Amino acid sequence: MKPSDAGGWPADGPLDETDLQILADIRDLFQAADPMPPDLPERIRFSLALRDLEVEVARLAAEEGQQMLAVRGPEQSRTITFDSDSLTIMIRIDRNRDGTARVDGWLAPAQRREIEMKTTSDTLSAASDEQGRFSFASVPRGTAQLVVRPADQGASGSGRSVVTPALIL
Amino acid sequence: MEGLTLMKDRRPATVPGSRPGPSARPDRGTRMADLMSAAAGGSEEALGQIVTELSPLLWQVARAAGLTSGDAEDVLQTVWLRLLSHWDSIRSPSSLTAWLVITTKREAWRVRAAGRRQLPVDQDQFTVLPDQGPGLEEQAIVDDQRRALWAAIDRLDRRCQELLRIIAFAPRPDYAAIAARLGMRPGSVGPTRGRCLAKLRGLLADGPEVSPA
Repeated sequence: MKPSDAGGWPADGPLDETDLQILADIRDLFQAADPMPPDLPERIRFSLALRDLEVEVARLAAEEGQQMLAVRGPEQSRTITFDSDSLTIMIRIDRNRDGTARVDGWLAPAQRREIEMKTTSDTLSAASDEQGRFSFASVPRGTAQLVVRPADQGASGSGRSVVTPALIL
Repeated sequence: MEGLTLMKDRRPATVPGSRPGPSARPDRGTRMADLMSAAAGGSEEALGQIVTELSPLLWQVARAAGLTSGDAEDVLQTVWLRLLSHWDSIRSPSSLTAWLVITTKREAWRVRAAGRRQLPVDQDQFTVLPDQGPGLEEQAIVDDQRRALWAAIDRLDRRCQELLRIIAFAPRPDYAAIAARLGMRPGSVGPTRGRCLAKLRGLLADGPEVSPA
């Protein structure tokens, strides 16, 4: 069958009401077939609630163990790596007996930095040592985000915090 | 499948007096410009309203690029975080939408190139009928009209499928800017109908190749 696109509706004609109705119908179809998870904007808003106006974004680079967004399973540890322009952040997440999470992390290149774990209820603080190691012994279950504060005016520091996306512990 | 939402139910509670979608109100540009300057100045509430309004569009961009749901969620977070450092280069609501769309697409490529969790590549990178859960078929494709529209979209080339899927979720004044950033000029959707919509209307007018049962 031949498409009649050379016919009554030329490509260079103005958008009309029927075109807009078709676009609305397409929107309905995809909205029904593949809707955005309803809680996603809330999670994004959480991750954007930062003290800084400019940040360096650490992208999720690798993940072992459970999937980040999967339902939590029993006693399993996960390892997640984030990369930004200046830092690699690797964390291992283990479940404590009381249901909270223990998070052990490493920064590369190794350096002393102040590190925050932002949760929906609180912000926890830690600091990495010369080897770049840090840990949070007890992080409440739920949404959390790591923020690596800027280094002191050293050579390596970009002057911006490095932030990860929100993850679900 | 939970999360199935009907057109009538979609109304963000946080943006008073406005409706998202292609039928943008005349004052949307002004309202968005105000939200943008407040957000660039550090207002979390203003930024949150922009997130609520434009994330459904970016979701479609990420999914049309072939990402899994989990990867699409990660990519959307990354894109919004990156925006915090890019306000300087964005001057209008249209350029904001276009920047968000192209950045989402580039982040999606990046994830795919890194070889992380990918959708199994069936026949084509773009699946017009995304994985349907049980029962969804009856709800989503309820009538012949919708079936005909699916069938017509299915016969478009992949670039047109992607463009129309994205444009359908975009504010109308931003069509041209998005199409331009996606490299769809000339003859693109914008003030004009564009090649893809013209083709689709032709296909719809011709009717289904196989009549529905």
